[in-house]
Amino acid sequence: MALLEINGLTQRFGGLQALTNFSISLEAHDLIGLIGPNGAGKTTVFNLVSGFYTPTEGTITFNGKPTRGLKPHQVAGLGMARTFQNIRLWNDMSVLDNIRIAQSHWLGYGFLDAVWRSGRYRRVEKGVEKKSREILDIMGLTEFTDELPKNLPYGLQRRVELARALSTNPKLLLLDEPAAGLNSADVDGLIRHIRWIYDEFRICIWMIEHQMKVVMSLCQRISVIDFGRTIAAGTPAEIQANPDVIKAYLGDDTL
Amino acid sequence: MQRRAVNILFLLAAVWLVAATQAGYFDHYVLTVLMFMGINIIFATSLNLVNGYMGEFSCGHAGFMCVGAYVGSLLSVAFFSSSKLFGDPLFPPELAPFLFPLVLILASLVAALFGLIVALPSFHTRDDYLAIITIAANYIIISLIENIDLIGGPRGFSGMKRTINAMTDVVDLPWMLIWVLIGTFVCVTLLYRLVTSTYGKGISAVCQNEVAAEIMGVNTNGVKIMAFMVSSGLAGLAGALYAHLYGYVNAQAFNILKSTEGLVMVYLGGMGSLSGVILAAVAFTLMVELLRFIIPAMNDLLHAGGLLPASFELSQIWKWVLIPLILILLMQFRPEGLLGNKELTHVFPRLKRWVSFK
Repeated sequence: MALLEINGLTQRFGGLQALTNFSISLEAHDLIGLIGPNGAGKTTVFNLVSGFYTPTEGTITFNGKPTRGLKPHQVAGLGMARTFQNIRLWNDMSVLDNIRIAQSHWLGYGFLDAVWRSGRYRRVEKGVEKKSREILDIMGLTEFTDELPKNLPYGLQRRVELARALSTNPKLLLLDEPAAGLNSADVDGLIRHIRWIYDEFRICIWMIEHQMKVVMSLCQRISVIDFGRTIAAGTPAEIQANPDVIKAYLGDDTL
Repeated sequence: MQRRAVNILFLLAAVWLVAATQAGYFDHYVLTVLMFMGINIIFATSLNLVNGYMGEFSCGHAGFMCVGAYVGSLLSVAFFSSSKLFGDPLFPPELAPFLFPLVLILASLVAALFGLIVALPSFHTRDDYLAIITIAANYIIISLIENIDLIGGPRGFSGMKRTINAMTDVVDLPWMLIWVLIGTFVCVTLLYRLVTSTYGKGISAVCQNEVAAEIMGVNTNGVKIMAFMVSSGLAGLAGALYAHLYGYVNAQAFNILKSTEGLVMVYLGGMGSLSGVILAAVAFTLMVELLRFIIPAMNDLLHAGGLLPASFELSQIWKWVLIPLILILLMQFRPEGLLGNKELTHVFPRLKRWVSFK
């Protein structure tokens, strides 16, 4: 059974058709790319998948469950995590707190436990702290545990966001332009990092990326959308040779 | 031992205060100011949960205090004294010292329910729009109470002094001071524990990036309901204590001016700083009391200097010019407040041995 099954996904914002009849199927251990020119509807796909928008038409089935009607935090609880095109960290709380808060979906204690500091509260908080420190260690962020994310360089902020997403034990990790704003040395590091995460955590990664170097060297399959329509899908080699893709990116040479 | 240092210190100070009061060390005025300080701490720190930690601009906080004041007063009168409204007391007045916490808790719970007036619209609106809703909520509550003639309407409601007297009849202690101290302690402890828990940090996550919070698994609507209800519930506690301190309530005491006082304390202390807002509440209470002496002194001075026409007197009403003026000056020159969103432990790192805000 596929981990994520999307069928005939269509999204309209008023008169604008942002996405038309998009379908894809991701397996539990896939590394897939989603590319397309600016404004093609890539982030719309991610926003639909993570439950931020409710699709006009079409179905999304994640881990065997249809996600229509679920709130984003419930979808996150099913095992989906994402990073954002423009970094969205909680900037006035420490890096550790950023990771801790991402554990909200499995806390399982409520207001009274928090205020009473019950046994359950102490047990859960201990677990949360241990897990958060572990993930910071794995991601090489231990020395920044108590820093505020806004004081970190851009590349590190991206890494904190990635750590935050991984800390939720996702089955599916959505990366929205993970290389945006990174210099070429950082991009090489990111490629190694994503490959390592993919091998180590054995999860499914689906990424939107503009830098062809990243997509072509990482992804097994790529889908290309333009103006909300899927114009190609296949292996990196097939995509690179596809005339429609070249046309979408570089324009038609017949004027 | 070190972890409990602040609690022990508070307990010692509280015991000393009660003992000193019992020994007649404080006159009535000083005592009232002290108790008012506690009530202001509850009022300001609870407002800080919404305005500071959650970053919403609630300017109708006094409305919830009003609910707490009336519910607390009505229950107190119904429980412990005979009145025209409720007839004979529900419980023997000797039980007052033991059942009074129940009055406070019920008053807080009802006020928390009224918090839903603001919590539910907050799912879809924020910022300025929500601020307008909070002002509306304040007026709705006041008008509602003013129009229920059964509980005094615009004339107000009294009779709560009898409850406190009933307590004194059982054991001769400064009961009101004790309840204010307990209320302050419960409020600050509750807020401290809430905002340092992973669950409570969801409130700050909603403030700093709501989209990320929702997508990373924080139930943002649940967090908003919780924060608004806790905040208004604690305001209700402040209200119930306030009503018993004066022995008389009037809905107009909880209008927008009272809410503004809360805002001044929060913004003076620093949004999202528990220790800062406590300090600000103490400083603000003292300042308002000092104005009682400073305004007449100024009046005399200006008249003596011939700077004011003889027909014009500086009255206490000028307090309501000066307090909003503080708010304006704060917003202009130090919008983050005294401590910003930092705690005292950031300013004085040595304090970290005694209390941690992680």
